Amino acid sequence: MHTNQSKPKNKALLDLILLGHVNEMAVSIVAANLQTIIGLNTDIRTVIGDPDYAFVPGRNQFDATRIIKTLCAITDGAPLKLGMIENDLCTPILTFVYGESQLGGKAALVSLHRLSAEDPAVTYQRIAKISLHEVGHLLGIKHCWKTTCLMKHSSNLEPLDSLSMYFCSACEYEIKRSMEVLVNRNT
Amino acid sequence: MSSTMHIMVVDDEKNICEALAAWFQKDGYRVETAGSGMEALEHMLQKPFDVYFVDIKMPGMDGLELLAKLKEKQPDADVIMITAHGSIQTAVEAMKRGACDYLCKPFDPDQLSLLMERFIASKALRDENIALREQLAEHRETIFEGFVAQSETMQKVFSIIEDVAPSSAPVLITGETGVGKELIAHAIHTHSEQSYGPFVAINCGALSETLLESELFGHEKGAFTGAAKARRGRLEMANNGTLFLDEVGEISTKMQVALLRVLEEKKIERVGGSHAVVTNFRLISATHRDLPQLIKGNQFREDFFYRINVITVPVAPLRERLEDVPALADHFLERYVRETGKRMEGFTQRALGMLMSYSWPGNVRELRNVIERAVVIARGRMVGAKELTFLNTPSAECQLGTLTLRELEISHVRAALEACNWNISRAAKQLGIDRSTLNRKIKRYHLTRP
Repeated sequence: MHTNQSKPKNKALLDLILLGHVNEMAVSIVAANLQTIIGLNTDIRTVIGDPDYAFVPGRNQFDATRIIKTLCAITDGAPLKLGMIENDLCTPILTFVYGESQLGGKAALVSLHRLSAEDPAVTYQRIAKISLHEVGHLLGIKHCWKTTCLMKHSSNLEPLDSLSMYFCSACEYEIKRSMEVLVNRNT
Repeated sequence: MSSTMHIMVVDDEKNICEALAAWFQKDGYRVETAGSGMEALEHMLQKPFDVYFVDIKMPGMDGLELLAKLKEKQPDADVIMITAHGSIQTAVEAMKRGACDYLCKPFDPDQLSLLMERFIASKALRDENIALREQLAEHRETIFEGFVAQSETMQKVFSIIEDVAPSSAPVLITGETGVGKELIAHAIHTHSEQSYGPFVAINCGALSETLLESELFGHEKGAFTGAAKARRGRLEMANNGTLFLDEVGEISTKMQVALLRVLEEKKIERVGGSHAVVTNFRLISATHRDLPQLIKGNQFREDFFYRINVITVPVAPLRERLEDVPALADHFLERYVRETGKRMEGFTQRALGMLMSYSWPGNVRELRNVIERAVVIARGRMVGAKELTFLNTPSAECQLGTLTLRELEISHVRAALEACNWNISRAAKQLGIDRSTLNRKIKRYHLTRP
């Protein structure tokens, strides 16, 4: 028997939070990739301003771990938060990071600062890859040793560019499992 | 390996501990953190870690002190020091005291990835090395178990092996084909100081002179037609180990001169090469030939003979130590029963008698093949005379062509007696001699009814 009731609108599971001005095209591409590749309903939230509190004067960079703690403290909206920033990021131990994330946690962060290429298409691909990688960590997925999987750790741009836009079958399976848990917990 | 590696991060700055732990967790490592040296030691005493990342500057117990304590309580602990740019000297000092590497914080992501890759590769090698050394030590303890011999002559051989193995003197093993000369060479190597080096064997009788030269000395690319790439020779491969020259009596006198030079100078030149390569090995040679006789016939160089024959290990043929046959037969039966999965318990008295009265021209190797064949064709739980009938056919011995007339006669008389179930009259008739002649032969050759 068919019902005439329309399906309820899917609730967003991830909020994209823009920290200061962020390239609009990059934001749209990240949202689209998260929805198509991982199946995460994504909302784009308004800008919440530059994270001055996380500025590290000696290094002229922003501390990613402090920003992530602030993103975690946001209680409203979707259960997962992905911050996007154009400034350069670092952590207390690393000279720079393209992105940072809590393994199996609530918040992740991506910086566009070091990802630009002459060809804008390559730039957007890099931003999408880092975003998908960090959100993979949010879903509890660890680094993968397969050379083309999105969960392979890239410590510089060369290995990042050689990654495909897909997860390997093992990581994809784990992501699907985590997504089921996330969806069940939030419906 | 990465998923099982257990890491401890020790730093008084909580954010450093957290950041490093998060990084390692994403790579699949198990990580624990400690805010002080004391806390790290408490964790370590409960369960040791594979690798410790230790900050040098910490209040109370500093990194160097913690390194010393870790090394004292867990000598195989791998410790990587974390330091600020200003204290690299201290990090270098830590390396002198046993730390395996250091990182200057903040570090480049590439630097951390490379350090971990290098560390994992080196740890895997070290672990493999430890495992191999343990296996080798175990093998050393049990090496004589590989020899099944109770006879006095073989016990003497074992005694010689134990005496000569620790020295690096050249050894010449003599004995007929199939007595186990290579096994003895292995035993000497395993008990020697070169046991951690390679054991490189070459059968000199199986190769032509040109091939043997290339095999022994190696060659440079293009040295001759077909030498598409450079190749190390056995003399070079045996460096720091043992070189076993089997069938050394087959080497041409020209090659003996070349080898003599190598043994004296401990240097070789590859075929087609122009520079010398240093090589240092212990030489063990083996032969079934009478080398002094070959020297008399100018087929073997006397100087080379004295160079390779510092210690001689003569191995008696099996027919001269028939008391070893039952134990050897049991040993091979057990081996082939295990391999084939058959249920067999041993030999009938008659079968054992046949094994004991055979002259074994092919020595232990022949006995092994006989038992393997018997196990394959046996249908019952015991190896009986039926499975060994081919031992009674003259061809069984004649096919090797090494029997003396006396041995042939013993074999033939015994075969006739077995065929007639030890009926003297019938056996004598079959042999074409009278009863009294047969009785004399039985007595002379000590033939007994199994």
